[in-house]
Amino acid sequence: MRQEEMVTPGEVLGKATEVKAGKGTYVAKHNGFVYASLTGLLRTVSPPPESPDQRPTVEVTGHKAHGAVPEPGSVVIARITKVMARMASADIMCVGPKSVREKFTGTIRQQDVRATEIDKVDMHLSFRPGDIVRALVLSLGDARAYFLSTAKNELGVVSAESAAGGTMVPISWMEMQCPLTGQIEQRKVAKNES
Amino acid sequence: MAAKPGAASTTYSPIDPTNKTRPSIFTGSDVDWLRPDSRAFQQCRPAFFRTGAVNSAAGSAYAEFGNTKVIVSVFGPRESKKAMMYSDIGRLNCNVSYTTFAAPVRGQGSDHKEFSSMLHKALEGVIIVETFPKTTVDVFALVLESGGSDLPVVVSCASLALADAGIMMYDLVASVSVSCLGKNLLIDPVLEEESYQDGSLMIACMPSRYEVTQLTVTGEWSTSKFNEAMQLCLDASAKLGEIMRSCLKEAASATQE
Repeated sequence: MRQEEMVTPGEVLGKATEVKAGKGTYVAKHNGFVYASLTGLLRTVSPPPESPDQRPTVEVTGHKAHGAVPEPGSVVIARITKVMARMASADIMCVGPKSVREKFTGTIRQQDVRATEIDKVDMHLSFRPGDIVRALVLSLGDARAYFLSTAKNELGVVSAESAAGGTMVPISWMEMQCPLTGQIEQRKVAKNES
Repeated sequence: MAAKPGAASTTYSPIDPTNKTRPSIFTGSDVDWLRPDSRAFQQCRPAFFRTGAVNSAAGSAYAEFGNTKVIVSVFGPRESKKAMMYSDIGRLNCNVSYTTFAAPVRGQGSDHKEFSSMLHKALEGVIIVETFPKTTVDVFALVLESGGSDLPVVVSCASLALADAGIMMYDLVASVSVSCLGKNLLIDPVLEEESYQDGSLMIACMPSRYEVTQLTVTGEWSTSKFNEAMQLCLDASAKLGEIMRSCLKEAASATQE
């Protein structure tokens, strides 16, 4: 990787024939130049030696934690707001490691809660309003919400409050227990990587 | 705010294309127009920019050109309103408002309601909307003091705020306006000159790519005067673009440390 310098949008970084446009850059079709599209540090990444395309990749990393936007394939942390018969609504609060400035709305549909027996899912035994879940963004969804999925072992409820008010402890992938009353409640629990 | 000037608060006067002394004609009078702040006709006001003025916004910028003071905040990309239809590209929403104390005569903000849509037209060609589908970027411009040439200052300041917010853009937008008073072309007019003008020309262009995003002409122009005015504007925009870039780089380096 080469030395880093600060670039601003519209600065020429090279020709499209010599460098590949990475994140934060774009190629202008009419003259074949690669320009920066963000303000930040410019980095040149050398290509892996066995790839057919031997052009280095230029990328610009924004200097600000540009309030993240959920993208298909990203893991998000969301808080459940509404649970209905066939879907649950959630407010997306973090995308990856960054928190968002203003919340986005997500939906977890019945068929996306888990990977097995998807038609027998009971939404109220998987989520409750107020639960914090880790989910994967499936797609941009419709005008109102992103589509989320918890159909993996490491996805699901990360933290939940019991009816008595205590923070529950996970027992299995299906159950959590309240430390105050000992009551067991059913959730779709996320597996910790341990 | 005016305590410490920005990186390069120098003038960005363009090169005079005609290179000959003007005949001193000003309709009905023997006296040539004297600019209130004793600038040359081709001389622009010193530009001052500062980014990061508003903490709560995703990006913001403050611009001061003589007596014209503008602050722009950018929010986004954030969720579009529920009522909006699905869109696989991003949306831009602009609003320009004047404070009650902006005009020399205090009152309701001036009737520049069309500035919002003009700002939208100047910026929509510059933002790469494919990078933030389904979301909206809101740009709010507030004119604190109106000292002439308001919209060009708003456009330049807004593009700095967008760059500060980290929105992907094709280039910065620098904007300059020229007023025609009789036979004279005055660049970067003040409020008094704008009230006497016979015609005005405003250009918003991308300095690095040499592309124009918006061109606004009012009044009557002869072809040669028009060409001369356009050249002046483009030249000045290029220099203004340099000042804007150095401001961005300075601010970014400061946050790096």
